[in-house]
Amino acid sequence: MRLYEFEGIDLFRREGIPVPDYALASSSQEAREKAQEIGLPVIIKAQVLTGGRWLAGGVQTTQSLEQVERTASRILGSSIRGFPVQQVMVTQRVETAREFYLGVTVDEYHGTPVVILSAEGGVSIDKIARERPESVASRPVSITKGLLPTEARRMCREVGLSGRELTQVAAMLGALYRVFRNYDALLAEINPLVRTPQGNYLAIDAKVEIDDSSLYRHSDLKLSLDDRIPNPLERKGRQIGVTYVELDGDIAIIASGAGLGMASMDIISRRMRPANFLETGGAITADLLYKVMDLVLQKEEVRAVFINVYGGINPIHEGAKGVVRYMQEHGVTIPVVAKALGNHQEETWEIFEKHGVHVVTEVSTEKGVEQLARLLEGGT
Amino acid sequence: MSILLNRETKVLVQGITGRAGRVQTKWMLEYGTNIVAGVTPGKGGEEVEGIPVYDTVAEAVARQGAEASVFFVPPPAIKEAALQSIDAGIRLIVVVTEYIPVHDVMEIKEYASDRGVQIIGPTSPGVITVGEAKMGIMPGNMFTPGHIGVISRSGTLSYEISINLASGGLGQSTVVGIGADLVVFTNIPELLRLFEKDPGTDLVVIVGEVGGVQEEKAAEFIDRWMTKPVVAYIAGYNAPEGKRMGHAGAIIRGEYGRGTPQSKMAALKEVGVDVAKYPAQVVELIQKHLMPP
Repeated sequence: MRLYEFEGIDLFRREGIPVPDYALASSSQEAREKAQEIGLPVIIKAQVLTGGRWLAGGVQTTQSLEQVERTASRILGSSIRGFPVQQVMVTQRVETAREFYLGVTVDEYHGTPVVILSAEGGVSIDKIARERPESVASRPVSITKGLLPTEARRMCREVGLSGRELTQVAAMLGALYRVFRNYDALLAEINPLVRTPQGNYLAIDAKVEIDDSSLYRHSDLKLSLDDRIPNPLERKGRQIGVTYVELDGDIAIIASGAGLGMASMDIISRRMRPANFLETGGAITADLLYKVMDLVLQKEEVRAVFINVYGGINPIHEGAKGVVRYMQEHGVTIPVVAKALGNHQEETWEIFEKHGVHVVTEVSTEKGVEQLARLLEGGT
Repeated sequence: MSILLNRETKVLVQGITGRAGRVQTKWMLEYGTNIVAGVTPGKGGEEVEGIPVYDTVAEAVARQGAEASVFFVPPPAIKEAALQSIDAGIRLIVVVTEYIPVHDVMEIKEYASDRGVQIIGPTSPGVITVGEAKMGIMPGNMFTPGHIGVISRSGTLSYEISINLASGGLGQSTVVGIGADLVVFTNIPELLRLFEKDPGTDLVVIVGEVGGVQEEKAAEFIDRWMTKPVVAYIAGYNAPEGKRMGHAGAIIRGEYGRGTPQSKMAALKEVGVDVAKYPAQVVELIQKHLMPP
């Protein structure tokens, strides 16, 4: 789960990373008041869960209170890459002598944390790594030992830092690693870390992503996933406990696993267009599939439903009961085609067939999709 | 022959007294798995399906000689269960549990690799040596004995591919679902290495999906080390960028241009691996290898 900048900044403060004075505002009047408290000039920053804020004009320096109000009002009414801006951060503008990039992320393949440091900040780390690799140091960290201060200092030396700069940046790396570890982050990034002409070090931006699976042990952060998903159907999917991704076609997909869902999507896309991707994971019940039917049929253009489920850990016969109950209660007349194999398959077929669901007993999803296509073309 | 597991392997079920643990224990036993013990802290002395339950893994190892363990343990208890099992001398662990924090996975992975313990998962459907034994939740009727090894990132697709193989007259030796999380304990190349050495396996199928670099790393390994033919299928050609397709690992990261099915397909084809665009096509590609014209 991606955090808003202000949430990331808050985690930085908890672990001792200095940040400029800041406040949140959700109206232009409020922004003006906060700017007055902080002292001009201030920077107004859109709080959205996407990159590209600078390019979209979502980050602006303002010199007067009138300008603060005007700018905040404009940014608050706007949308950046489909994310409506509901809050802005008003922050003290900091003078910059030098900028650095600090990051901690997960090496997915090797399964270790990786710490990345660049002597240049403020631009994309990928770009620096490509163009000036000598400015970038990265190293895997033993998760059981943690980032040792000597390792952090060695990285600083590798990118050419020395003296006080070396010890200060190394200390910031240590603190950022603590943010990563203590809050189950998948990514914790300061870009840029600024050294002021007075020799202070401040984190100017925060990009933090927390592992969704770890939220149960971070209830103190009061983070909610639901309100971070802008698409209403995808949000609803999340609420009922499935993964729903809206697509632009008209064939609804319900699959009992992500791989099977993607394969179904691939096969359907050869001659038709999927309305969504949906996977239930291993938690199928009658109630869940009832809700899932309701979800995929929210899109009015849907003209058929393709169900593709395996009975491994899932009781698919229970799921079938939920599907047919929904169809009865809501008078579903569009074709519903179900391929259901595994434990309890015969029982599942019987429930489906009794209620007008077209059952595919063949073993390949391709055959199921062929049957679906025939039905839509008016055959049987 | 097979990899990881056979009918002799003495299997322990952790979390055996839970709902999933009980049902799956019954099905694993019916399949022929040599389950010797279960563990649920506080339930020592009970029995499930005639299998004795112990409070600790150490007891299950001491009394019944358990050597492999399958986990039906909730996420918050996984780390403790894994470290306990490794310390007790378990050599193979299969983790079915979904939604384990990635930091816990990384900790367990480091601990296990320092001690040479093989862990499959998390979010794995399990391991099945067809016709002999299974650890996990794979429905037995999806598999047919034979000589194709299957490595799958997706549980459901491991079933889909296997049942399609069987309908094309191609049985399987061992089928492994490596799990689909951001970080998995065992990567594809480690399993390719085992299949390469297994005399019971003639050809390996890799079932990949969007996201991560598993397939790209597999291609590097195949190029250097594999003599047996490999065929692949990658799911998610039509996956939109930046959307997590259920699995935590299945996401095309637009900003870095990584994890696309195209890059995976290109990497595999580069080293001579035929890549199917749809699951059933795997069968045709294999027949080409096994039955030369």
